[in-house]
Amino acid sequence: MKLKLFTLSVLALFANIAAFAKNIELLNVSYDPTRELYQEYNAAFAKYWQAKTGDTVTVKQSHGGSGKQARSVIDGLSADVVTLALAADVDALYENAKLIPQDWQKRLPENSAPYTSTIVFLVRKGNPQHIKDWDDLVKTGVSVITPNPKTSGGARWNYLAAWGFAAKKFDGDETKVKAFISALFKNVPVLDSGARGSTTTFVQRGIGDVLLAWENEAFLSLKEFGAGNFEIVVPSLSILAEPTVSVVDKFVKKKSTETVATAYLEYLYSDEGQEIAGHNFYRPRNAAIAAKYASTFPTLKLITIDQAFGGWTKAQKTHFADGGVFDQIYAK
Amino acid sequence: MTFLLSSKTRALLAISLLAIGTTTVRAQQSADELSTLREQVRLLDQKLKVIERKQELKDEDAATAAKTAPKIALTDKGFTLTSADGVNAVKIRGLVQLDSRLFFDDKGNGLVNNSFVLRRARLISEGTFAKNFSFQLVPEFGGSSVSLVDANFGVTIYKALQFKFGRQKSPVGLELLQSDSWTFFNERTLVTNLVPNRDTGILVTGDIANGTTNYAVGVFGGVADGASTTNADFDNEKDAVARIFVSPFKNKTGLVVQGLSFGVAGSIGREKTTAGRTSGYKTDGQQTFFSYLATTIADGQNRRLSPQVDFRKGSLGVIGEYVISTVNVRPSATGVKTELKNKAWQVSTGYVLTGEDSSYAGVVPKNNFDVAAGTWGAFEIALRYAKLSIDDAAFPLYASASTNADEAASVGLGLNWYLSKTVRFTFDFYNTKFGFNTAAAVTPPASPSVLHQSERAFITRFQLSF
Repeated sequence: MKLKLFTLSVLALFANIAAFAKNIELLNVSYDPTRELYQEYNAAFAKYWQAKTGDTVTVKQSHGGSGKQARSVIDGLSADVVTLALAADVDALYENAKLIPQDWQKRLPENSAPYTSTIVFLVRKGNPQHIKDWDDLVKTGVSVITPNPKTSGGARWNYLAAWGFAAKKFDGDETKVKAFISALFKNVPVLDSGARGSTTTFVQRGIGDVLLAWENEAFLSLKEFGAGNFEIVVPSLSILAEPTVSVVDKFVKKKSTETVATAYLEYLYSDEGQEIAGHNFYRPRNAAIAAKYASTFPTLKLITIDQAFGGWTKAQKTHFADGGVFDQIYAK
Repeated sequence: MTFLLSSKTRALLAISLLAIGTTTVRAQQSADELSTLREQVRLLDQKLKVIERKQELKDEDAATAAKTAPKIALTDKGFTLTSADGVNAVKIRGLVQLDSRLFFDDKGNGLVNNSFVLRRARLISEGTFAKNFSFQLVPEFGGSSVSLVDANFGVTIYKALQFKFGRQKSPVGLELLQSDSWTFFNERTLVTNLVPNRDTGILVTGDIANGTTNYAVGVFGGVADGASTTNADFDNEKDAVARIFVSPFKNKTGLVVQGLSFGVAGSIGREKTTAGRTSGYKTDGQQTFFSYLATTIADGQNRRLSPQVDFRKGSLGVIGEYVISTVNVRPSATGVKTELKNKAWQVSTGYVLTGEDSSYAGVVPKNNFDVAAGTWGAFEIALRYAKLSIDDAAFPLYASASTNADEAASVGLGLNWYLSKTVRFTFDFYNTKFGFNTAAAVTPPASPSVLHQSERAFITRFQLSF
């Protein structure tokens, strides 16, 4: 009888231990300009998850050029989730290391892009070089700041937006388009590895006449460094940038964090997640919340990666792979 | 209305208008020049900023690369390859000891013991993986054949709780636990004959109480006095080994006794063997002066107890230890069982003449030996006394009184020259006197020749240790 009682007590103790709240740590490997977004979002998600499950979630963040970040994960940085600048960088996790399934983009709504953005120009107060559109960036004496498309997701969006403009202007004449892009990059004195580095170059180091920036990064610069110092110029045409997110299956299975990591990304689509995105100058997907921020974001003509370039896989291979168009142009 | 101006007035007016016009043109030119200069300054400023930013980015890249690049270090502690995050490391070290042994006044017939000896030649590899897992591999190329001295791996839970598995030093003898490279003398004292050397087992160790106390508890296969495991456990029994060593004043800066450490170590186990229990006890000159009869076997409990002390104060270092080794033996498988107690003690001291600190981990010269620079390294003198006594009951049933000494007492005098942290010359003179059991037919015994006289040995060593 005593033995039975003892056994039951031990079982009850184990049951209690199992019922104890857990401390969970996630690693979100993201691209350069999302620091502020995820600082706010992580706190909101931790609160939500604790209320739902009782577990405490701490999310660590890692930021850098989107391409570099993808490389780090491929090389073994055990990210639970990636929230990168473009689908091609997330694709690389499948292509190079089979860390995620091939159809990863179908697992979440909106092709796993919970918010969008675009590319705009940030110029110095008064716009002394009178920069209004992409044409102005190729003029002699105009200094353009953009990161390196080989390492930065934002830079690839910049490049493709410029290409889209030139393609329209020259009616698809590829020779002229290449010459246009080549002239633009001749005006780039410094290639940072990531968007945040380029912002530092332009805003804090005072280099260049115009920064090709994520819309959210441009707004953040105005907020952080004062609207009196900079102005946003919206070009006649830009590109719909769709930063994408994915759970890194191989690592979450190993770390037993699949459930919470999936919930972490799903919550980006919640009202609170979308509010936080809008609040941090990303364009929300949720129509109602997007409407709330409509006055923040200018209306402009946006081309899409699928329409203009046949999707990221093709664009990546054509323009940014080793020996691709960018390498050919930049080598000249 | 007509104004009539004199020719003088007209001339003055013309000059004035010309002057105004010239000034206006000059002002315009100056404004243009200023504008051009401003633009040039702006462009130069941009160029300068770009250069600075590029350098900044290069520095950032270099710093990032440094964070991920493995670090390679070649120091007086060996060659170390460390991962960027510091959690993985592999270290290659080495130890070479070349001895010259010279014995004085030997009276034995045909005694050949003056020799050069490659005492130790070890290529030591050590490493740490994932911060908490370590290994050590020490092959021995000195001696008559290649052997494996140490081969173990460790798991660190906390600094206070560490596990070590495999072949390693059994933590009983204080002097034995000190590295071969840094003992006061080139050979350890008689006391080390009575403690286990390398053994295979599991050790739990750690530093506790703010690092003032080191403890070690282990289970080993069990080896005879002074012996190392041959990788073949000779019975089913195991030895339990424990040691506690306290440095109570370690953190009390300025106290005279800050460098005082003391402790006690012991082992206990049961052993049953089918052959002789020990390869013999050796003198400072590494000559055997006692061994059991080949028919003697161990059968029963064996115990060792060793109080020990270490003191360091500036250039002065002193260590002392006492060992009592108890073994139950039979003269044959069916013979009477007797418990024997062999005892030994020693006190050794060293003093660094050149002012460097004496240390359990060796002396580091302030200046390496360098004739060109006029520096000579560090010099240390050392003195010691040690005595080992065999239980009288060992004679004659378990050991021959006619071929063994039952006591050895040794005085050692040494000079150590540290040319650098890695290179040391030692010059040691040992005088060992033997005592004999009353059961001996003649004193000294007819053989072996080493017992015909006191051992007076001059042993010099060249040592490279990194």
